[in-house]
Amino acid sequence: MIFLLIIVFLPGVMAIQRFPKPEFESGYVVPVNQLPVQRGEILAWLDVAVLLIALSLVTYLVLKRRSRMGVFCISLFSIAYFGFYRQGCVCSIGAIQNVSMALFSGNYTVPLTVLAFFLTPLIFTLLFGRTFCAAVCPFGAFQDLIALKPLRMGAWLNAFLGIIPYLYLGLAILYAATATEFLICRYDPFVGIFRLNASFGMFLFVGLLMLTGVFIARPYCRFLCPYGVLLNWMSRFSWKHMNITPAECIQCRLCENACPYDAIEYPQVKKNPAGHRKQVNKMVVLILLLPIFIFGGVWTGGKIHRTLAGVNSRVRLAHILQPAHTTNNQPEIPEITAFRGSGITQQDLIREVTRIEHDFLIGSRIFGGFIGLVFGLTLIRLIITPYRTDYVPNKGTCFSCAKCMDYCPVVKD
Amino acid sequence: MEKQNRRQFLRLAIRGTLFGGLALITGDLLFRKGGSLFNNNIMSGPTVWQLDPSKCIQCGRCATNCVKTPSAVKCTHAFSMCGYCNLCSGYFKPGTKNLDTGAEKQVCPVNAIKRSYVEDPFFEYTIDESLCIGCGKCVKGCGAFGNGSLQLQVRHPLCDNCNECSIARNCPAGAFSRVPASDPYLLKGFGKDRV
Amino acid sequence: MKKTILIVLSLILLFALIGWMLFDLFMGRPELEKNPYDFGMKKLRETQIIPAYSEALPIKPALKKITSVATGPEGKIFVAGDGGVETFDFGGHLLNRISFPGIATCIAVMNNNILVIGMEDHVELWNSSGIQVSSWKAIDTSSVITSVAVNKQFIYVADAGEKIVYKYTLQGKMLARIGEKDPSRNIPGFIIPSPFFDVAISPAGDLWVANTGRYKLEKYGNDGSLLASWGEPSASIEGFAGCCNPSNFTFLPDGLFVTSEKGIERVKIYSQDGKFLALVAGPEAFDEGTHGLDLAATANGWILVIDPSRNQLRIFLPLEKK
Repeated sequence: MIFLLIIVFLPGVMAIQRFPKPEFESGYVVPVNQLPVQRGEILAWLDVAVLLIALSLVTYLVLKRRSRMGVFCISLFSIAYFGFYRQGCVCSIGAIQNVSMALFSGNYTVPLTVLAFFLTPLIFTLLFGRTFCAAVCPFGAFQDLIALKPLRMGAWLNAFLGIIPYLYLGLAILYAATATEFLICRYDPFVGIFRLNASFGMFLFVGLLMLTGVFIARPYCRFLCPYGVLLNWMSRFSWKHMNITPAECIQCRLCENACPYDAIEYPQVKKNPAGHRKQVNKMVVLILLLPIFIFGGVWTGGKIHRTLAGVNSRVRLAHILQPAHTTNNQPEIPEITAFRGSGITQQDLIREVTRIEHDFLIGSRIFGGFIGLVFGLTLIRLIITPYRTDYVPNKGTCFSCAKCMDYCPVVKD
Repeated sequence: MEKQNRRQFLRLAIRGTLFGGLALITGDLLFRKGGSLFNNNIMSGPTVWQLDPSKCIQCGRCATNCVKTPSAVKCTHAFSMCGYCNLCSGYFKPGTKNLDTGAEKQVCPVNAIKRSYVEDPFFEYTIDESLCIGCGKCVKGCGAFGNGSLQLQVRHPLCDNCNECSIARNCPAGAFSRVPASDPYLLKGFGKDRV
Repeated sequence: MKKTILIVLSLILLFALIGWMLFDLFMGRPELEKNPYDFGMKKLRETQIIPAYSEALPIKPALKKITSVATGPEGKIFVAGDGGVETFDFGGHLLNRISFPGIATCIAVMNNNILVIGMEDHVELWNSSGIQVSSWKAIDTSSVITSVAVNKQFIYVADAGEKIVYKYTLQGKMLARIGEKDPSRNIPGFIIPSPFFDVAISPAGDLWVANTGRYKLEKYGNDGSLLASWGEPSASIEGFAGCCNPSNFTFLPDGLFVTSEKGIERVKIYSQDGKFLALVAGPEAFDEGTHGLDLAATANGWILVIDPSRNQLRIFLPLEKK
């Protein structure tokens, strides 16, 4: 075993010695334990530096140089460094959970490096678009490699499947804020690949997801990634964003099928006054419906909060302790053994569980309302088709991967 | 053109709001009580996972739940607590008659404990970490009959330090917690509490 | 057409995967997985023998942590622990309480009701009004006092750290070190791997010591010579299990031994020459991992057991008379 740092530590120092030691006459010396530590903290900051450099490079390559090849090379580097070397952990996607846990539940401090991993891609995206997704995120880069036969899906399908990341984000934040679980880490399909080691269930999960990924390009990015929700918001209002054309769009239609992710928006005819009024009416109806969606979400959240809370280990323990769950011929469940030895009374546990379930009630209602809002806004976005003359990338969903740029014949003068 | 300017302004306003939101979150995380920059908070540095042997019930999940194979949890011997017994109950199966190093007499399923004679009547027991799978059988035997000098601990060069430890999630005793990376072991001594 | 089929199939796959995630999240029961590395403690702790004693209601002292019990004159029961000693009668009524700083690890009662209390590294004498009679100086920095025993002339102090039994006068003057390894007198020395080292004086007046590392109860004479010993290591009921037992022992009024063990928690009765006679209480009466079942016996044959795990004084009565 190679240790980066070895600290020799006397366990006896940890506790006051009141213990009958054997007396050795032969000169035998009691060995001290070797207690080696992890890789140095400086290496975590190195990762942040690499992140910064990679993001800057990709942004430059996409926005200024418009080089798909450059982006491709960086994505290979990211798979190697952030993927196989760092094994995909800590990642920016998971950092959401750390931030949520620090914000809402006591006793946890976000390490500065994790905070940096959370913020840096968001700030870059707010300024330049989703260049993080283009080539820096190892998960996205990996999916880019396997998108061999991407199929196009309609706007409605994309829009409704696009609600799933909001559900994932909401649940992940809810579970992290209540210090229940890191959901994103638990169902992370890619770390198994990068570690070259996974349980059978995870292995199957990854394999099937990758199979989907051959035909539906970047399935995790578009329909699961919770960080993508945040990046979507940042990118929509970004200061600069990549364009398909380096100068003006000439509507040559060559880029129509260039994007494997359905992120290119087509020109839309300007509506005649009647059509325009119809759209406005639809929009007004949907805006009026919005509170109903939100209220419906809040109500649903309140109804399912106990199921959601059931994932929490203390709540689960309380369920296990109920007599209906234990049968006599089973070997004793370790959770029960541990609980009996812990000195905590069942009353204390019930009190704790009540408090947790109350937190979940509030959180689930907020979560439900949030999803209701998202649902309503998705509908609005589908119904409303703004006037557009050019082929432009959808700022929210475009990954700035630069695949479309090579299709555009326009040359910048 | 006015419409264009209005839209530009709206975008700028929302961009500013988003940026402000990020700044607020960052500020709260850094400067609040217990935050990352508060009072040299030792937990704002990197943290690693460790298990508390006084809570451990040796359920065996350390061996089965780690994402690494073999597990990054290994048995560690706190020699200063060991009684150096001839009949070590962490080494020999209960009821063993002839105390020799026969493999089938050993509690350890992979024979990772090495027994060597020191002087009468003391024997030294050391763990071969390259063999240990972190199952905790020896820890159980030692803790039940003896002094509890064999303890399970996460060995950090082996541990990937996942953001959420799979073992921690499934530990029935809640023995896992995040500890500062600079002081990552929780070996138990005797202390004022007798066994 | 082919593309539509592919899309539909891919979507079905995607939803199946999401469905699996939800199923695993909400319906998973990881606690039901069996432990492939089970030590087998449960099987070990099943006793095949029916206990010959039954349990009466336990006494629950108010002390935070109780460590030892002793019987005194007039049938009083003394329970020592963290911060004091409480005195009870047979019915469990509190008669007296004295407090002192520190943890009492062992207790013995002299005929004049003076309490001899071992405090980790030294011995103190207290009377029942809560006044300290004397405090002997610490014997050694590595001393771990685990047991004290008194008779009319001497006080014996078992030190697990030094692995010696000290003999003192009632006034605290050290007279001898008993049990020191001495091949010329065939004294093997004490092997004490863990902080359990009990001494007791039999009704006949002999000094007996539990040599836990050798699984033996040994009798020492007034001159410190080893007069008798018995005991064998064994997981079965006749012997002492594990690496260092019996952790505690005492005597019934008729001279029978009462022993208690850790690991497989059981309290047993042996004849005067070391033959197993009866089981007082088996592991099913105790929480797993209970260490330090200090023992005392009353004049009418009841057996008192300190249960540190539940912080109770448990009382066992012979089955014939209730």
